[in-house]
Amino acid sequence: MTVSVYIPVALSVLVAAISWLMAARLSPTRGTVITVVGAAVLCAAGTTWALVLLALSLLGFTTLAVEEATERGVVLVQPVPGVVGVLAAVALTYGVVRVVRVARARWATRRELRKLCLSCAPGELAVVPVAEPHAFAVPGRPGRVLVTQGLLALLDGKERRVVLAHERAHLAGRHHGLRATVEVCAAINPMLVPVREAVAFLVERSADEHAATVSGSREVTARALAKAALAEASGPRHAALGFIACAVSARVAALHAAPPRPDRLLPGGFLLLGAGATVAAVQATLAFYRLVHWLWLG
Amino acid sequence: MRKSARIPSRRGAGELESEVLAALWGAERPLTTADVQHAVDRELAYNTVQTILSRLYEKGLVSRAAEGRRHLYRPNKGAEELAAEQMQALLRRGPNRQSVLQRFATSLSEEDAEALRAMLKLRRRRR
Repeated sequence: MTVSVYIPVALSVLVAAISWLMAARLSPTRGTVITVVGAAVLCAAGTTWALVLLALSLLGFTTLAVEEATERGVVLVQPVPGVVGVLAAVALTYGVVRVVRVARARWATRRELRKLCLSCAPGELAVVPVAEPHAFAVPGRPGRVLVTQGLLALLDGKERRVVLAHERAHLAGRHHGLRATVEVCAAINPMLVPVREAVAFLVERSADEHAATVSGSREVTARALAKAALAEASGPRHAALGFIACAVSARVAALHAAPPRPDRLLPGGFLLLGAGATVAAVQATLAFYRLVHWLWLG
Repeated sequence: MRKSARIPSRRGAGELESEVLAALWGAERPLTTADVQHAVDRELAYNTVQTILSRLYEKGLVSRAAEGRRHLYRPNKGAEELAAEQMQALLRRGPNRQSVLQRFATSLSEEDAEALRAMLKLRRRRR
């Protein structure tokens, strides 16, 4: 098989490295986020398909091909070593297991959140009488904003408005869908984990920017965020630390800086890399097809 | 971003309802209309607040009690105690399940916490 079968893997690493380095510098516009998600999808699809092709080599096509080639006196491109085929099959199986696990966890949490909202009074806002400060966006039709009483008591009117606007931005921008997509990509291809974290960070930044516009003050938005983060951190720690460390500080810092300008070059670069992964996968498929075709039909 | 975006935009009625409700939930005691106006946004017209409160009352989301000539409003608690239990259960889940929750604020190291505290103090002094 040709080298192109390994290219999607290499490009995934590249996309991951760029999103890891650039996440804090990317402007959190919808276009940018969607491009990053798109690149992740293309890379994940390319890699998965490449793994399928490599695993298929276990079926003995390559040994057959080599025998056939020596008989006919044709020099073949180097066949896939058996070890690579086995590794690909293992990686593929593990990826599928991870995807199932992620999907199950999402599904269960969604169901629990909906049930939680049903226990609250109807309307956009659902308040839970819990002292710990938390706020979540619960997608659905219509989506709801779930806030604890503890958080509301902590903030003043303008800051409460920031929280509501932030969560509404998640719902309006369908950020859950974007996050779920990259989560599946990272599950099937763990090299894309930095991309998943970058997207998680970008949608938070995007919601922050929206809240800053709605509240009319970047300062108040930063303050609300800092207050909530401090109160949440002082309580028992539930969540594991994010991949991009100090995400909240980065968000507060970004709010203290000037509003972001839309990126021009970077989103295109992301898509180009993703497209590269897909093209390479297609090329590898063609090579594979030619091999099989040649074996059976001469 | 355009300059005009800095001016607070006009809110829809639904958004205001949520803000008023949030203010009532955030308060420790029942509030009068004037209190709510103060707690939500001082620039909001008194009549607007009054209208929103009546609407919330009609929807059964708040209850009111007469105190002299004024009304005191408080949020209606339905099955919220059950919701509280469900929420605690949800928060106790492992990080795998946690990642699904889209939180307002997460991940804070001790250094960052210190920096944020300093920032809040600084801004308060400047005001």
